[in-house]
Amino acid sequence: MKYDVVVVGSGPAGSVTARFAAEAGAKVLIIERRAEVGVPVLCGEGIGQKVDAFHVLEGTRWIASKMDGARIFSPNGTKVTLAAEYAGSETGYVVYRDIFDQELARGAVKKGARLMLNTRAVGLLKKNGKIAGVQALHLNKTIDIEADVVVGADGVESRIGKWAGIQTTLKPHDLETCAQYTLANVDGTSPYCDFYLGKQIAPGGYVWVFPKGKDTVNVGIGVLASLSDSGKALRLLDKFIASHAELKSGQPLRLLSGADPVAEPIESIRDHLLLVGDAARHVDPITGGGLMLSIEGGKLAGETIGRAVEQQRFDQQFLSEYETKWKGAFGKKLHRNYVVKETLLDMEDKTLDMLADSLKDYKFEEFSTFSLIKALVTKHPSLLVKLTPLMKLARA
Amino acid sequence: MAKPKAYVQKDMCLACGGCISICPQDALLWISSKAEVNTVLCNSCSLCVKTCPIGAITWEGQ
Ligand SMILES: Cc1cc2nc3c(=O)[nH]c(=O)nc-3n(C[C@H](O)[C@H](O)[C@H](O)COP(=O)(O)OP(=O)(O)OC[C@H]3O[C@@H](n4cnc5c(N)ncnc54)[C@H](O)[C@@H]3O)c2cc1C
Repeated sequence: MKYDVVVVGSGPAGSVTARFAAEAGAKVLIIERRAEVGVPVLCGEGIGQKVDAFHVLEGTRWIASKMDGARIFSPNGTKVTLAAEYAGSETGYVVYRDIFDQELARGAVKKGARLMLNTRAVGLLKKNGKIAGVQALHLNKTIDIEADVVVGADGVESRIGKWAGIQTTLKPHDLETCAQYTLANVDGTSPYCDFYLGKQIAPGGYVWVFPKGKDTVNVGIGVLASLSDSGKALRLLDKFIASHAELKSGQPLRLLSGADPVAEPIESIRDHLLLVGDAARHVDPITGGGLMLSIEGGKLAGETIGRAVEQQRFDQQFLSEYETKWKGAFGKKLHRNYVVKETLLDMEDKTLDMLADSLKDYKFEEFSTFSLIKALVTKHPSLLVKLTPLMKLARA
Repeated sequence: MAKPKAYVQKDMCLACGGCISICPQDALLWISSKAEVNTVLCNSCSLCVKTCPIGAITWEGQ
């Protein structure tokens, strides 16, 4: 089997990369170790409406509900409400992630990509010392898939990068360990995605409650692995649900565990190889949201691959166009948000409460750095010191 | 006595890959779509045990 491109993983990053590479004329194969694209769903299922601008999803079958905004609850319950446009790239739609992933894969296939399920990459093929495809297990048979370009779209646990010599092992400080329920028999009609913070609620992470319409919500928790112990995420999630009247009556339709990188991006290219999505750690370190970045980065990767195939140039230097472009698109933001994550992690619950208290009446639509700082310190002058690292960042 | 090695209770594993992403020894593998510990590579550091969100990883012999 010989292809121009083999994409390992049929998540959003893989499918979108495949789509744009195929559209540019490349012969593309996606391999996926699971037996169904998008299943099991390991996700909060929130994404901003900016996703529409990429034109990679048809129809509306993938949308469970549309959100007006987000509400953040500080440890003592102080509520800060943000309109969707200020709430980051996880608020806008709540999606059915299985259908969402399948629609993205369908888009890739429609552009000519091929897709093999039950096919797990187990190593890289090398020819004259150069990467030349992947070795895979397909229904327990070992097969060689030759390709000029290998795309590691293999998610948080990425092996492809590791096999190519890229340091991919996540530090406990950079991984959220997650548990998540889809609950029925609750009110799923709120127009807000809710986030709950606090060391007792979710150490180093948060609980989310995302309404999916009618009587269903997606409720989950992320706990920073360095603050976790065995089974903690699920235990704290169960406790949260039991102590919230509006969720208590809920019955689970689905229980899942998950792992979400909240790291800085890593190297994303080698000769004949690119990493996209979670595999490249293209995830917002504050929220753990990676769907939008997978799509944005996947598009850039696919376009670069298209040009690489056209010119038959597969060296790192040529492929660095992709790295330059994603850094331009969201590299700075990821770095900034990583610093913010560190600052937030250092904050006591009390400080978060003060922050929320200062922001609860702030008019984000009239945002300016000055007005924000003023709002923060008028009520709680001591916040100024705690926020110094962020101010420095804003000036940088 | 040798330290006990990490052990995945397969019927509890929900296959999220968290343990695989974090193991500094690369001692966790997919076997039939569940995580499994390679006891030769495992150095009993306990990271996977602590990381597993649902508590599916314990110690050998427990
Ligand atoms: C609990 C949880 C909640 C989240 N909530 C949100 C949210 O609300 N909003 C948001 O934007 N983001 C969220 N995220 C993050 C988001 O899910 C990821 O950023 C996104 O899935 C990344 O897409 P991807 O294509 O890079 O990887 P994935 O979607 O993980 O896809 C990787 C694919 O590769 C396959 N694969 C892996 N290894 C191999 C192999 N060796 N051979 C073949 N196939 C392989 C896997 O089976 C998988 O299908 C959440 C994550 C978690 C864990």
